[in-house]
Amino acid sequence: MNHADEIVARVEHIPPFPKVAQRVMEMIDQPGVKAKELAEVIMFDQAITANILKICNAGYFGLPRRVSSLDEALVLMGQDALKDVIIASSTARYYSGTVGAGYDLGQGELWKHSVATGILARHLAGKVSGLKTSVAFTAGLLHDIGKLVASSYVGDYLNEIMELVQSSGRTFVEAEVECLGISHAELGAMILEKWDFSPELVEAVRRHHDPSALEGSPLLLVVTLANSLVISAGIGGGAEGLATAIRGEVLTRFGFDEGTLDRCMLQVVTEMETAKDILAL
Amino acid sequence: MKVSNTPGDTLITYSLGSCIGLVVWDPEARVGGLLHYMLPDSNLDRDKALSKPFMFADTGIPLLFKEAYRLGATKQRMVIKVVGGSQIMDSDGVFNIGKRNYMILRKMFLKNKVMINNEDVGGVVNRTISLEVGTGLTRLKVSGKGEFDL
Repeated sequence: MNHADEIVARVEHIPPFPKVAQRVMEMIDQPGVKAKELAEVIMFDQAITANILKICNAGYFGLPRRVSSLDEALVLMGQDALKDVIIASSTARYYSGTVGAGYDLGQGELWKHSVATGILARHLAGKVSGLKTSVAFTAGLLHDIGKLVASSYVGDYLNEIMELVQSSGRTFVEAEVECLGISHAELGAMILEKWDFSPELVEAVRRHHDPSALEGSPLLLVVTLANSLVISAGIGGGAEGLATAIRGEVLTRFGFDEGTLDRCMLQVVTEMETAKDILAL
Repeated sequence: MKVSNTPGDTLITYSLGSCIGLVVWDPEARVGGLLHYMLPDSNLDRDKALSKPFMFADTGIPLLFKEAYRLGATKQRMVIKVVGGSQIMDSDGVFNIGKRNYMILRKMFLKNKVMINNEDVGGVVNRTISLEVGTGLTRLKVSGKGEFDL
């Protein structure tokens, strides 16, 4: 059975990405932009405004004192942290409730998985030249956004998908395509295109289960590697589990060895303990 | 890590990907223990090994046994079950954390003459494991597949 057309039609029903978030992200990258100018835009999104204040005061960014106004928060936070909070609080709204149930993911698990992938992708971006940490964080947060529309269909076909994975050694995504006609990665790319994200980010999401992903763009590499390690650590893998294919050899080109991968897993688990404020968005 | 001799307790650990879940149970002393470790070797991060020894096989496994002995369990009577150690499908073998996690356990058990009674290890699945301390009933849940006795 092929449901691709029906599932793709659902992409159109996904609510638009908050305009305020996109506007602010553009503004931050312009040289000389003032906190006051940013605040004048951000204040139109109550959820983002509230989240900035909440996170500023919750300790994740280690600010020295309590802040009560948006202007003050923006001055204290710094641009990178601000970008992360804006993107996280704009994204969290899509992952609420039992999103991902079809993948045997409990409440909040897909969000937790996405935050962990974002955090690790951001960490890895520091090791790959020319990659902005905020872009890596964003790609990590959004890499599985296609599960929003695929989930209920995957739930209907879960037995068949699991059987294909178990009996024939297919990856979960291959089995997903076989049963649904389309993968969550492809659907995610469609959603991000609709939301006007950069072609580089769309491509990273589309190919994050491609076995040759580590040979792709720096962004694709960090998202794929982060996702692989996060599911290895058991964070939000669900029924998909570890049934994804990758060719790891290329990592040696970046000087990665077993120890590097182990340290990355340690890093993400440790950072997740301090990321409770983001998880609670 | 959790160790208990309270009959009504159920010890559980969720979502073992490449991590290992190690269950020990003494049917006579009615002592049960469960360790969830993530990585094989604590030399990776000595500070972490001190603050969270249960994250590593080489520091966590001895602690699990010690704590079980403290509550009256003995090595001869103990039933040992091992689950987890999955890994992603990397034809180059770079992502072998699951295998390394299992191999160090086997090595430590061989050296200390500990037998594994039952195991469900490897593959590409996510596992959740629970132990009823009073009865020794060990339930394995495999994401997307269901729940089984182990």
